[in-house]
Amino acid sequence: MQTMHPTLLIGPGDWDPQQMPREDYDARLAALWRDHDNASGAIVYGDSRDHAALAYLTHFTPKLEAAMALIPRRGEPQILIGGGINMLPAAKPLTFVSALAPLRNAAKSAADWARGLEAGTGLVMIGGEAMPHGLRSALECALGTNIHIESGDAALQARMRKKSPREIRTLRKACAILDAATTELRHAALGGDCATDCIIKAERAALQRGAQDVRSLFSVDGGRTLRPFDVPMAQRQDPLQVYLAVRHNGYWAEGFVRASTTEDALERKAKAILHDMLAEVKPGLSCRRLQEIAYASCGTLHPLADGMFGSSIGLSLDEPPLLKRDSEAMLEQDAAYSLRGGLIDKGGTGAIVSSMIAVTAQGAAVLWPIDPIDE
Amino acid sequence: MSMTFAQRLAAIRARLHATPLDCVVALHDGAHFIEKPDPVMVLTGFKALGTVAAVLDRAGAVTLVVTPSWDSERAREACPSIKIVPADDVIAGLKSAIGSGTERFAIGVAGLTALPHGIARRLTDLVSQGHDAEAIVFEPAQCKTDTELAHAREATRIAELGYKHLLEVARPGMTEDELAMELRWHSKSLGAEDNFVLLCAGPHNKAVAPSNGRRMQAGDIIVCEITPSYRGQLAQICRTIVLGEAAPVLRKKYQLIISSMNAGFAAAVPGATMAGVCQAMNAVLEAEGYGEFCHPPHIRRHGHGLGFGATGPGDVALDNATALEPDMLFMIHPNQYLPETGYLLCGEPAVLTPQGARALTREQAALAEIAL
Repeated sequence: MQTMHPTLLIGPGDWDPQQMPREDYDARLAALWRDHDNASGAIVYGDSRDHAALAYLTHFTPKLEAAMALIPRRGEPQILIGGGINMLPAAKPLTFVSALAPLRNAAKSAADWARGLEAGTGLVMIGGEAMPHGLRSALECALGTNIHIESGDAALQARMRKKSPREIRTLRKACAILDAATTELRHAALGGDCATDCIIKAERAALQRGAQDVRSLFSVDGGRTLRPFDVPMAQRQDPLQVYLAVRHNGYWAEGFVRASTTEDALERKAKAILHDMLAEVKPGLSCRRLQEIAYASCGTLHPLADGMFGSSIGLSLDEPPLLKRDSEAMLEQDAAYSLRGGLIDKGGTGAIVSSMIAVTAQGAAVLWPIDPIDE
Repeated sequence: MSMTFAQRLAAIRARLHATPLDCVVALHDGAHFIEKPDPVMVLTGFKALGTVAAVLDRAGAVTLVVTPSWDSERAREACPSIKIVPADDVIAGLKSAIGSGTERFAIGVAGLTALPHGIARRLTDLVSQGHDAEAIVFEPAQCKTDTELAHAREATRIAELGYKHLLEVARPGMTEDELAMELRWHSKSLGAEDNFVLLCAGPHNKAVAPSNGRRMQAGDIIVCEITPSYRGQLAQICRTIVLGEAAPVLRKKYQLIISSMNAGFAAAVPGATMAGVCQAMNAVLEAEGYGEFCHPPHIRRHGHGLGFGATGPGDVALDNATALEPDMLFMIHPNQYLPETGYLLCGEPAVLTPQGARALTREQAALAEIAL
């Protein structure tokens, strides 16, 4: 889900080798080179919004300004970091890469580095589409036309989709934080708090449990639409429909939750859709089948769950592929997904529920909610 | 009287009329950043979740293309007089907003270079003859509207309350990350939808940098920029706090940078330039022998404009010739590295009045000590 982007990423992002050992990154880099036989180096761009690939390969999360990793096939990588030279010490704990330098003159720096690589080979560009247009134009100009550049995004995304047991454990920790936050949210809502107070309490619960980041959306119209926090609102919402996402050690967990003081028939029906989806989860399940399940429900699908049934999730909230209507994407074994179901009634009230799963050979291993979905 | 949003839009339209352009297309990718101006917010007042585009035509009509489409209802609420085009692809939405035959139009574009390349490339395919329209949008927005100034005052109020909270909760053993997150959460509970909390600590800071997992210790100097956003308008305060008792040299040097800031406020009058304000601040430091520390790599500016919309009048820097006008809003912060103490922060948000710069804060920066 798209959420309001904060102007500065605040939260624990230091590299902890106990949590993510260097060997894991070495294995990821080895896979990168296997995917690109003829490349002698990779340029990996990331900024505070789009940095999943950069974090996957270096653990580095650009909290303030953008960063660019220059990774040779042989030798040590370096990361160019936004801000002046005095910002580098604060960036050191965020990555295992020891060579850090300012990003200023990034295009020239990258081009000089590329010219020092093995002659006659090419470069892999990752995150190039997210690069600011001005920087990308300057980079292309500086690299010239003699260096062959291939995009490494699709191949890396395929690698990133398959989660290692360690990544699944990290996702489970993120889900546990999400669970604590949603429990707090429900408690506040059922206790009569207004919507924004519920959000604030839920976010605090997540932060106190070590969340790296928390994002939220909520509804003020019975679940018909969602919005980001703007200013505090005194009005209570019953039912309260919320979307919460929390990040832990780089990995995201997300969930749609509802809190209602009365019998919530719409939520029950939405849960039934989700239940039916989860029951069929297996490697190879197609988006077309997810669509059939959703459309088989008796009701009008919620706009946020009509044609969009979820996505892969990990180092970004919307990891490709998005599970969209008519997409050719299929669920993959060892991948983690967020799946959602939602309905809207004739009066305009909406309900969306979701679940996070890891796909195993046997089906869905539910990561969140911690308690099973009840119909 | 400050200008209204409608008056500013009329001024932008007048700029458009002074050109042969048929319309201005402004874009922003929703990645809000303190230093990245948002031309769509200037034209519409809307702070977006996703990539958005605004089209201003010569008649003065504005169309707002909103992604993701499910966020369009919020846009309608925020911009009731503007035509909203919901879209899940901003370029497809823009095509729909402009209509076919874009090659026949002379189109000005604002926000292109900051766009992600993947979107910018498609935009330049659509608007192959685009003209730079940054000045058309941003120059009339160098002065804030009445609403923006009101929001800046509220953001400042929240910043000062946040600072008080910091003084209550900051303790040795806490990590920088924990303190920064606590401050952001606290300001949200007071009504700020975002907060650029740039905070770090150490016995001798080389700069103010994003927080990390370092645990603060007794004797550390905490430097922080607390920058809440209230309804999309940022305001900032810059403060320095000692965990424990401040050394005499630190107290003395802090007074020096306060003097530098005061010199900046005194120099900031209508007609003065931002460079002139910077020179006045530097002069105080140079007189004490710190001239070399008034330049990179130690610092690059003594203040800056405050977005998220327009970031004019720009930096308080020697290379900024922008002349000051009433209702300009900007930071005056010496934020200075001194070899005896490390990096120190003091700064206030200033609004320019006909009589000169006035701080929006109730209390001016002073070196704080947290008793342990």
